[in-house]
Amino acid sequence: MSELRHNTFEDEDLIRPIEQTGPGFYLMVAILLGVIVFAGYTYIRQVFLGLGVTGLAQPVSWGFYIINFVFFIGISHAGTLISAILRLSKAEWRRPITRMAEVITAIVLAIGGLHPILDLGRPDRMLHLFTEGRLQSPLLWDVTSITAYFAASTVYLYLPMIPDIAILRDRGTRPRWLYEFLAWGWRGTEHQKKVLERAINILMVMVIPIAISVHTVISFIFSMTIQPGWHSTIFGPYFVVGAIFSGIAALLIVMIAFRKAFDLGKYLKLIHFQYLSTLLLIMSFLWFYFTFAEYLTGFYGHEPNEMRVFLYKFTGDYAPWFWTMGICNFLIPVVILVNPKTKKIPGILIASISVVIGMWLERLIIVVPSLANPRLPYPTGIYIPSLTEWSLFAGGVAVFILAYMLFAKLFPIISIWEIQEGREESVHAVAERLKSYLPDPPSEQLLTEKLGSKR
Amino acid sequence: MKNDKTIFWLQIASVSWIWIFVMGVAIWILNLIRVAHKLNDALNASVGISIVAIPVFFTLAAILTYVFVGLQKDKHRGDERAKQTGGIDSSWRGAK
Repeated sequence: MSELRHNTFEDEDLIRPIEQTGPGFYLMVAILLGVIVFAGYTYIRQVFLGLGVTGLAQPVSWGFYIINFVFFIGISHAGTLISAILRLSKAEWRRPITRMAEVITAIVLAIGGLHPILDLGRPDRMLHLFTEGRLQSPLLWDVTSITAYFAASTVYLYLPMIPDIAILRDRGTRPRWLYEFLAWGWRGTEHQKKVLERAINILMVMVIPIAISVHTVISFIFSMTIQPGWHSTIFGPYFVVGAIFSGIAALLIVMIAFRKAFDLGKYLKLIHFQYLSTLLLIMSFLWFYFTFAEYLTGFYGHEPNEMRVFLYKFTGDYAPWFWTMGICNFLIPVVILVNPKTKKIPGILIASISVVIGMWLERLIIVVPSLANPRLPYPTGIYIPSLTEWSLFAGGVAVFILAYMLFAKLFPIISIWEIQEGREESVHAVAERLKSYLPDPPSEQLLTEKLGSKR
Repeated sequence: MKNDKTIFWLQIASVSWIWIFVMGVAIWILNLIRVAHKLNDALNASVGISIVAIPVFFTLAAILTYVFVGLQKDKHRGDERAKQTGGIDSSWRGAK
């Protein structure tokens, strides 16, 4: 250990939360564990008593669990997809953001991916998927694409962490064996750097189509059926847009929370929030465009079953939720984010929370009304979630917060090496890039000739 | 030293686990193709999906293995350099 030399460290602020733990951390962990234990209890109760303890019934057989499944998987688009796009487009402002985004993906994918199991009255029957599953079913496409996305996102999160893990190992941060194990022998040689860069470059290209496929395939669960309100050709891109939209909002909330909790104002500057919230604003307009196109097409066709669902959302039982969704996803973010005076961190936080709520409502609006108004001659269905469903929802959110906190306790939440690389190479790299965009300056000979002709 | 060896073998085990996982996914998908064939149930669709899915998982495992081997290969060179310079600088700038 004595032969290891600590880096002269200008980024001590990023290591401090790992090496020092305040009482607030333990208090928060205890509260979250309490919520998770209660959720665990309600789930065990559901397994023993059956789905009768939920608000699910015929014809509304999908409720909170599937809504949350779609919602959490949507949030996962915050991370790997946004990070990969920003890396690929060489957006220099990405540097303090990418790690935070990637962590969101890995955690919410694990949470979201488990939700369909909660929806099963007999979870042991999941095993049939392995022995007798039908690959032609969109449900199986989901299992495959979510597994692929989870694997790719975890690798994409882990590989860029290796140099930072090695820094912790060399500082002797505890648990040292963990950092030694995860650093994979990183010594910071030129060859190692090349290997890692090559792998990250391949991954970031690979991860974008996987991420898009995931939410497209999730939309297929709905759109491949002929249920009114679901059977739509634009559901794939509509879901992808919604996922990126809610993902950016979730990322902004996480960034604001950690900026405050870890005092990271030096790294997460107003400009980062403003750039990201501009993306949020663009996605808000895009979401509105897709929603408008989706509902206008259904309304114009005026097919009776389609209209039952349409009116159920616009003027019926679900009208309050539908219009709140519109206010949360469009009105509030647009009003806040188009005005430079309100496009500050408090305003961005309000807009982001509003979008997350709005996007959850959108999932509710998609799932329940179509099931409540089926083509078959059923009376209109009713769905009121029970305490079991609410507690499992709270449990899912608590698992997310806890997992994120534990990650931040073990690893730097902002990529140290990317910040260092940015400080040392970005200015030069951006200058070179700018030169390559701009037209070449006129040669001296040409200038002399032009000046001569003017005289 | 003994600790280093244990960690090294744990690292080997983790990389091997990734291959076991990927092989497991591939076997699962191939089994579903077999079921589709047995039941005469849209075999072409199953084959089409597997052609996309299986290579994705294998590529991921290959990338991880490539990085692991690449880092391990140069680990000792890094250690020798550390002896000459008086310490390891694992940070990104240490590569220069």
